[in-house]
Amino acid sequence: MNDHSLRKFYGWFTALGLLVGVLVVMGYYRDEYREWKDYQKKYIQEEIHRAATPQQKAQAERIALQIRQVQLPDLKRVDRCTTCHLTVDDPSYGGYPQPLAYHPLHEQHPFEKFGCTVCHRGQGRATTTADAHGNVAHWDEPMLPMEYIQASCGQCHEAADNPSAPELARGQQLFEDSGCRGCHKLGGTGGVLGPELDRVGARRSPEWLRKHFLAPASVTPGSAMPPQKFSQTNLEAIVLFMLSQTGEATPGYYASMKVLPNTREGQRLFQQKGCIGCHSVAGQGGKIGPALDDVGMRRTPEWMVQHFRDPQSVTPGTVMPKFGFTEVEARALADFLVHLREQSVALSLPSLMGPVERGHQVFKKYGCAGCHGQDAKGGVPNPNAKTAELVPDLLHVADGYTKDELKARVLKGQKEITALDTKRPPPPLYMPGWAGTIKDAEVDDLVAYLFSLKPKGEDVGF
Amino acid sequence: MNHSDSQNKNQVTRRSFVRLTLGWLSATFAVGASAAAAVRFLVPNVLFEPSQRFKAGKPEDFPDGSVTFMEDERIFLVRKGNTFRCMSAICTHLGCTVNRANQGYHCPCHGSVFDEQGAVKGGPAPRGLEWFLVSMSKDNRLVVDKGQRVAADKYLVL
Amino acid sequence: MKTPWLRQIWDRFARTRVGRSIFRVGLPQSNLEKSQAMVSSFLLHVQPAKVHKHALKASYSLGLGLISLYLFFILIGTGVLLMFYYVPSTEKAYDIMKDLQFVVSAGLVVRNMHRWAAHLMVLFVFLHMCRVFYTGAYKRPREFNWFIGVMLFLLTLGLSFTGYLLPWDQLAFWAITVGTNIAGYAPVIGPKIKFLMLGGNIVGQESLTRFYALHVIVLPAMALLGISVHLFRVRKDGGLSRPDESGDVVEQIPLGQLPTNKSYGLMELARGTTPQVGKNPEDEVFSWPHLVFREILLFLLVVAVVLFLAVFWNAPLEEFANPIHPPNPAKAPWYFLGLQELVSYSAFWGGVVVPGLIVTALVALPYIDRKRHGVGRWFASERVVANTIFSVCLVVAVVLTIIGTSFRGPNWGWVVPWHQSPAITEGH
Repeated sequence: MNDHSLRKFYGWFTALGLLVGVLVVMGYYRDEYREWKDYQKKYIQEEIHRAATPQQKAQAERIALQIRQVQLPDLKRVDRCTTCHLTVDDPSYGGYPQPLAYHPLHEQHPFEKFGCTVCHRGQGRATTTADAHGNVAHWDEPMLPMEYIQASCGQCHEAADNPSAPELARGQQLFEDSGCRGCHKLGGTGGVLGPELDRVGARRSPEWLRKHFLAPASVTPGSAMPPQKFSQTNLEAIVLFMLSQTGEATPGYYASMKVLPNTREGQRLFQQKGCIGCHSVAGQGGKIGPALDDVGMRRTPEWMVQHFRDPQSVTPGTVMPKFGFTEVEARALADFLVHLREQSVALSLPSLMGPVERGHQVFKKYGCAGCHGQDAKGGVPNPNAKTAELVPDLLHVADGYTKDELKARVLKGQKEITALDTKRPPPPLYMPGWAGTIKDAEVDDLVAYLFSLKPKGEDVGF
Repeated sequence: MNHSDSQNKNQVTRRSFVRLTLGWLSATFAVGASAAAAVRFLVPNVLFEPSQRFKAGKPEDFPDGSVTFMEDERIFLVRKGNTFRCMSAICTHLGCTVNRANQGYHCPCHGSVFDEQGAVKGGPAPRGLEWFLVSMSKDNRLVVDKGQRVAADKYLVL
Repeated sequence: MKTPWLRQIWDRFARTRVGRSIFRVGLPQSNLEKSQAMVSSFLLHVQPAKVHKHALKASYSLGLGLISLYLFFILIGTGVLLMFYYVPSTEKAYDIMKDLQFVVSAGLVVRNMHRWAAHLMVLFVFLHMCRVFYTGAYKRPREFNWFIGVMLFLLTLGLSFTGYLLPWDQLAFWAITVGTNIAGYAPVIGPKIKFLMLGGNIVGQESLTRFYALHVIVLPAMALLGISVHLFRVRKDGGLSRPDESGDVVEQIPLGQLPTNKSYGLMELARGTTPQVGKNPEDEVFSWPHLVFREILLFLLVVAVVLFLAVFWNAPLEEFANPIHPPNPAKAPWYFLGLQELVSYSAFWGGVVVPGLIVTALVALPYIDRKRHGVGRWFASERVVANTIFSVCLVVAVVLTIIGTSFRGPNWGWVVPWHQSPAITEGH
């Protein structure tokens, strides 16, 4: 058999050989010419352009094209944003167009320790614009639009404490005032009619949240949540607050840094640690330690901080225990005490309030307003409910119940709400039983508050 | 080689010669390129080790006349007046971390002694402690680059 | 191959001291050299010195077995490369997949090649099995080789299945959840097998570790062994099946009475008998270059196709595996979707009986179908019964797989694929 019989294959051989060669070259080009290299070349050109001395020029020319990353093992991330955003820490690039713009405010949040995606979200490991900004399929955490950036502050810092995030604080205030907790649990406290909100910010986009507030049934079919009437700015604020609830744990180093030393935080700690048990404010409280009303005039903040660090060192023989405050906590408490005289904080300490005020706090804490309306005035729709298709207001409970009956009603709840028309679907909202959730003492205060709601001048009496 | 004689089937024609050559060249190129690509694949583009280059802190964080030991990075940052320098804390003998002595440095493992400038004063160390490049970043922080060794007289002067 | 310049270069090297120590033969010129090139080479001696012309016909075998083998080689090559980066940790694996795409040079292409070659290999091993069936090439004396082939097919499925989990994304996690659940339906031993596979009760780190071990060493080693025996058997059973074999009786022929005048074969030099199937010297050609060149060509074709797919289509990578959020519907890998469809009707019949019957039937086939006719031809008319039964089963399997792939949507309900009903996912 002659070899020439293979000749018929030579054409195939050539074609396939060429095809494989071409494909290899194509693969090489796709791999070699990456988007980020273009951005880095632009940066190098800019640096060369700006170079004032030959050494600077040489230094700029020596800048290597390479992927840059920040590793954050505690946060379980790797951020490669600085591969394109090369000048985030260079103030001289302030105002440049992205990606070569300077990023302000990184004094407190240096990039080496925080990276980028903890605040801005997105896909840190990616090295192309589209993938890194995260608006791609199969990536759950696209970049947060800049108007919602304050939501990220709330992941670590208490919303109300942070002067740099006023929108977030407003959103939290709205959340409490609107009584969302009546149906939703957040941070372990709240009702059970709706889902828990601890991770809502990680799962839902801003658009979804907005739609959900305005018309819940349009995004969650069959939802019992009544449509919320928020103004545009309020809507954005509460969406922002929701976005801050990502349920991310703040590990070690970050947890120790998250307390912001300011008066609000100090007050929170003051209440939390029960200082009023030994010290008094405005005449109320314990007698073991000195009154604190004018401590700000008698002691310096440094003394106070040292006192928190180690009471024995500044007041030998004292019975005040060492609480183990961190530096930041100590500074926050000191800040609070210094301003104690100025602010009307004394009246907002629960232990100094009367039962009606405390009851009002309970009403707010558990979100009763979510169903019973702002200040219990009602107005929340409950389709097909016999009570005029609304959740009843609570202004006249003193007329219809004794204190014990009201307490029992709160604890037991009412699962079946009488329907107006049995042919229609049953009313979606019902009164849950709060036994086990609201503590006994709190219920007493709550009842006192509700009884106090009877509008003045209506005391016709029975 | 008889190009035009296609009668003689045992001879290769110009067409089949070109085809074969082209085919073999392409195939060889593809094999070679693939092998090169495989090797390049194995060369890491990013490292997950702690970076050699890091920001040590603001100049104000280091008081005048101080020698600051940075444990994780195993370096000493020395400030004198307005000058800064960085020395490795790794003994050049067998790699233990040296300790700061009253004057100079002392290795606890085999007793090497170094003077203030890191030069060997005694013990088995073969050479002085390494000096690393210190520079200033654009946001006013001291940057140490352990990947860049410098001569034992290079200071950063602010 | 007539490229005198290439031959010259090669010969110059092959005749040096170094060259001669490696290659005993230069580029083969004479018949003797052509035989020796096969017989005295470690890599090449799996091939005979001469092959029957019929075996070279592309229209007969379609090269399916070779294609499967080449895909396997590509998988080994790309797989070893990937092993330099991949770590079988539930915390790291997904991030590494992302790094392959974004940071590693040629990472995306290598991963894509691996994935597409894997899918193609499952397909082509299956097609190879069909070819062997339709040409009756499982009949005596090739019964045992068919058995090894069935085992290799199962190994291929196992390799694909174990590899499927490694990216640790939603696609991987839930496909394996479904697949191991199907395995768990077997009576008595099912749950135990599932427990063993998963290294526990859930798909977790232990599962990933085991699947990795199976995927990179255990199953490939078994497959390589199986392939070696499989190819060896092809040789010893008389090469690829041919039409004029049918009716021939395999006999042990004492040397000296060989009907052929085969020269340079080892058999002539040894004592004893040799299994010999009717061969005439005019029907045979030297493996070098006829077989070898075709093999190289086919290899180029396979590489071209895999590379083409890899350059233009990316292997999927979905979200990080989330045990709390199953996709709706959760689907097994495509080659198990026919089974999943059956299981949706009945776990026992679909998950246990049918697969069990299929494997048993396949293995038992050559021992049941003992008629010697119809070997070496496609769709031989004598085998119409067997061919029909097989074809029906084949069509049913394909239809079930298509249904499972395209016509099943959320809650495994019916969907019409061109009406684009999206799967139920979290609103975003």
